[in-house]
Amino acid sequence: MKKFLSLILALAMILSVCGLAQADELPVITIMFHGSNVTDDTAVLEKVNEYIADKVGAKLEVIWGTWGDFDEKAVDALVSSDAGVDMVFTCSWSADEYNSFARKGYFVKLDELIEQYGAELKAAIPESLMQAATIEGADGKGIYAVNGFKDTATQNTWDINVTLLNELGYTVDDVKNLGFFGWNEIFAKAKEVKGDSFYPFLVEPMVAERMVTNSIIVAGDSGSVNLLSLYLNPDDVSAEGTYGSTLLNKFATPEYKAFVDQMHKYYEAGYIDPALSVAETSNDARTNHQKEASYLIGTQSYAYGYEYSADVLARGVEVTFLPCTEAYVDATASQGAMVAINSASEHPVESFKFLALLNSDPTLMTLLNYGVEGIHYNLNDEGLVVFTEARASYSPWTNGMGNVTILPDTETEGKGFREAFRAYYAGAKSIPVPSFVFDNSAVSSQMASLANVAAQYALALDCGAVDPETELPKFIDALNAAGMEAYLAEANAQLAAYLGK
Amino acid sequence: MSNFSARTGKRRIRAGSFSLNRFSPGTETVFHLVLALFSLICIIPFVFVIIISFSSEESIRQIGYSFTPLSWGTEAYAYTFQLGDALWRSYFNSFLITIIGTALSVTITVLYAYPLFRKDYRFRGFFNFLSFFTMIFGGGLVPTFVICKSVLGLNDNYAALIVPMLFSPFNVIIMRTFLRTTVPMELIESATIDGSGEYRTLFRIVLPIMKPGIATIALLVALGYWNEWFLSLLYLNKNMNIMPLQYLLMRMQRNADFLAKNSSMLGADATKAAATLPSQTLKMALVVFIVIPIACAYPFFQRYVIAGLTVGSVKG
Repeated sequence: MKKFLSLILALAMILSVCGLAQADELPVITIMFHGSNVTDDTAVLEKVNEYIADKVGAKLEVIWGTWGDFDEKAVDALVSSDAGVDMVFTCSWSADEYNSFARKGYFVKLDELIEQYGAELKAAIPESLMQAATIEGADGKGIYAVNGFKDTATQNTWDINVTLLNELGYTVDDVKNLGFFGWNEIFAKAKEVKGDSFYPFLVEPMVAERMVTNSIIVAGDSGSVNLLSLYLNPDDVSAEGTYGSTLLNKFATPEYKAFVDQMHKYYEAGYIDPALSVAETSNDARTNHQKEASYLIGTQSYAYGYEYSADVLARGVEVTFLPCTEAYVDATASQGAMVAINSASEHPVESFKFLALLNSDPTLMTLLNYGVEGIHYNLNDEGLVVFTEARASYSPWTNGMGNVTILPDTETEGKGFREAFRAYYAGAKSIPVPSFVFDNSAVSSQMASLANVAAQYALALDCGAVDPETELPKFIDALNAAGMEAYLAEANAQLAAYLGK
Repeated sequence: MSNFSARTGKRRIRAGSFSLNRFSPGTETVFHLVLALFSLICIIPFVFVIIISFSSEESIRQIGYSFTPLSWGTEAYAYTFQLGDALWRSYFNSFLITIIGTALSVTITVLYAYPLFRKDYRFRGFFNFLSFFTMIFGGGLVPTFVICKSVLGLNDNYAALIVPMLFSPFNVIIMRTFLRTTVPMELIESATIDGSGEYRTLFRIVLPIMKPGIATIALLVALGYWNEWFLSLLYLNKNMNIMPLQYLLMRMQRNADFLAKNSSMLGADATKAAATLPSQTLKMALVVFIVIPIACAYPFFQRYVIAGLTVGSVKG
């Protein structure tokens, strides 16, 4: 037994000596990127580590999370105080929601680091984004994550199959002038020409609701089905809407009633694919219809330049995105993609230096986002990025990384795209309550039961699959029974406090 | 003639001797129908999955899942072969984890259950309680996760996918009860008298009798390992090379779910990402890949499982 123990001790000593020997090398910092489609990152990371060795003084390791990992992995790492993950994605709508996780002390407060090492970062990102990230956290008011400069304003659009529309003898202007409540004749015509199994109106029901009633997503509201509405002024998003800055029960307004009544008419007339009204099939059906361009008018939450993206071009028809309102800055968009440093991290300084560099240095951002020149992409004569086949093994989620405005233009986007992109979002107007985030912790149990009720009714109603005359009153009663009043009161009290400041 | 009468006589005897155990033809028909229906309910979903995996994408888009698709296709299988490394590697991982896990788990269960069954073991009560207690009061998910990951180092390695499921008190109880009903103490006593040591008694004398019990446990454990994806979700972060097949499939499903749920938050990103997701037929093809090996393993276990079910049932 003694022999055995001493053997183990000897082994442990050898191991610790090995550990010490390694400590002379650069520290390793780890970042978790979600939504990735990466199977081979060796070439990229080799280049990245070469590049950042002096500038950051650390070696980068990347965890390529997929979309499905999104809600758990970062939370796991943070909650278990796992020092193995230094940087995680956070935002106003993920499970590691920025505001609540910063309040609970999972993120490092960055103000001092920004002061010390963030001059270039400050220059690269608009002041408004820094403002949007400034919140009350565990260590007082400050910035708890590096805010990515991407499509930082929200804009919903009608996605129009122009090729088909022209074939039917209408123009985009007709669609615009007739408006949501007057598309009956266009849909009837489409149905007549394309046959009975064609569904002209391709809606994402919840998005369509916001588009027609001009309401926004209130950050901090139930994520699966929104319960609160804040109505915008569609003519000037920075002015107050009809109800002022008041939060309303989304489903109890005349605007909502009018919307679901009209949707029900469209649904009854056979203009909407029944598959869209079932949560399990809704997204698949929508993607497929888009792929095949088997629709006339659809809904799309829009990012500048989306019409040049590969999947829109692949539809093989001319597509136009007709905006409902101008782009507006709300908390959902301005806290839409951020990267925070884990408070359990052993290398917060190196991590911050890395993030600052990533958001301000085009070389590093391009390397991590588009891959290595000559392997994943080539530059054509105009200096535009042309992706190679190797890109398939390395395509991370572009917008989740940070400042995408410093990326080079690609061939499909055309020259000057990123510049225009930057101008488009830098100039976007803010809504009257741009950084209001509802802290639902006081009413979380009501929220859970309300979300359950809403999950039962909302999608079918929004899609027009059930009769609002009978279902809507039942729905509203059920919501009231589940505690809508308390939920709404808490939300409005917080909004009043926010506006009072 | 004599031949004939002998035969009828025989028949009479047979009918007579079995009449107590035999149902009336009517009841028998009903039982057969019920069992047939039950088997159908079990088989139909799988047949349906196979049909969907061989349907063409086109057909699914137009009429959804159907037993009679508009057209057939093998695109899904062609695509799985293109998945190449990722697919075969996770297939290999699934086998490796299942085989090693089952072997270790069964060994541990047997070694734990055997002393508990021996009435002459002094700390029987204590160890019984120790395993039974964990059956009722677990540590909870988060503490378990933290201990496994930070203390035990079950992180991004095969051990993380095997160790947490090694010991199941439920299996120990099954095994103990099985031993109690099949192995008489006299057998062990006589072995001891004949000079057999404890290990020889266990491995040479008791183990052969335990075979049906071991097979039952092995089947349960193997199924558990084969179908396990939650451990991968918890403990795999960087090293995706050791991902089992179930998790590969689960990831595809979760990706689709996430995008569906958050499409309004992600906007155009969600649409872009959804376009790269595998098709419905591919998912079903992977399900076929998952089911076939375990379905093939069943017949080998079945003999023992049935023996295990009935053995001991008539004992007082």
